[in-house]
Amino acid sequence: MGPLNNSSPLTTHVLNTGDGLPAVRMAISLHRLDPQMTLWNLITVGSTNEDGRCPGLITSDAFTPGTYKMRFETGQYWESLEQGSFYPYVEIVFTITDADQKFHLPLLLSRYSYSTYRGS
Amino acid sequence: MNRLQLIKDHILSRERNMAMPATQPSPLTTHVLNIAKGVPGANMTISLYRLDPVSSVWNELTTRLTNDDGRCLCLITKETFIAGVYKMHFETEKYWNALGEISFYPFVEVVFTVTDASQKYHVPLLLSRFSYSTYRGS
Repeated sequence: MGPLNNSSPLTTHVLNTGDGLPAVRMAISLHRLDPQMTLWNLITVGSTNEDGRCPGLITSDAFTPGTYKMRFETGQYWESLEQGSFYPYVEIVFTITDADQKFHLPLLLSRYSYSTYRGS
Repeated sequence: MNRLQLIKDHILSRERNMAMPATQPSPLTTHVLNIAKGVPGANMTISLYRLDPVSSVWNELTTRLTNDDGRCLCLITKETFIAGVYKMHFETEKYWNALGEISFYPFVEVVFTVTDASQKYHVPLLLSRFSYSTYRGS
């Protein structure tokens, strides 16, 4: 694995708790709030790998304090499995005050529930 | 009128009132629980929005405060509750700040699809400073 993939200070892990498997090939996007414009600036677009992870979300240099949003295209994911879902997408908005720390934001997901937490 | 007649009239009147309640319960409900402290999430501001399918704009339907039990009565009426995409916005940071604590999440938004508006939908939020979960309940 290249050094870039290992160095993202922000990571995620999407788990399909309905099936007990990682959620593979789910589209994810990371956004940062521009405080002046009250707009969301898109930073990264990616999709989860076979382990439900998305390496290389952001570089240490780009990771500055602020308000971020991770958007998970959960509706598309369930559609690709030919299943319906209660949530068309999931957005998690969080505040980074100390960008020297690492932040792990998993998403545990089923068709009718989800949870998230700050992990490690 | 004798006492028996008075009592009968009272019971019949109550039955009539039960059959035709003055306010129907909201078909959409929520319940906020502070799982860090094991208490209901009281006095949290919640806003409900519906997505306009044509303009893709979120229209605000109501803003309410949770009560001492962490619930919000009268979120929406049966008549206003139609199929569509809804968003519940929970002012979680303001809630934690009022308790003298910081929060990882400035707010929580749960976006969900109502396909059959004749059903009841319960969308709770279980919350701590560094985690939250939601599910379709009953």
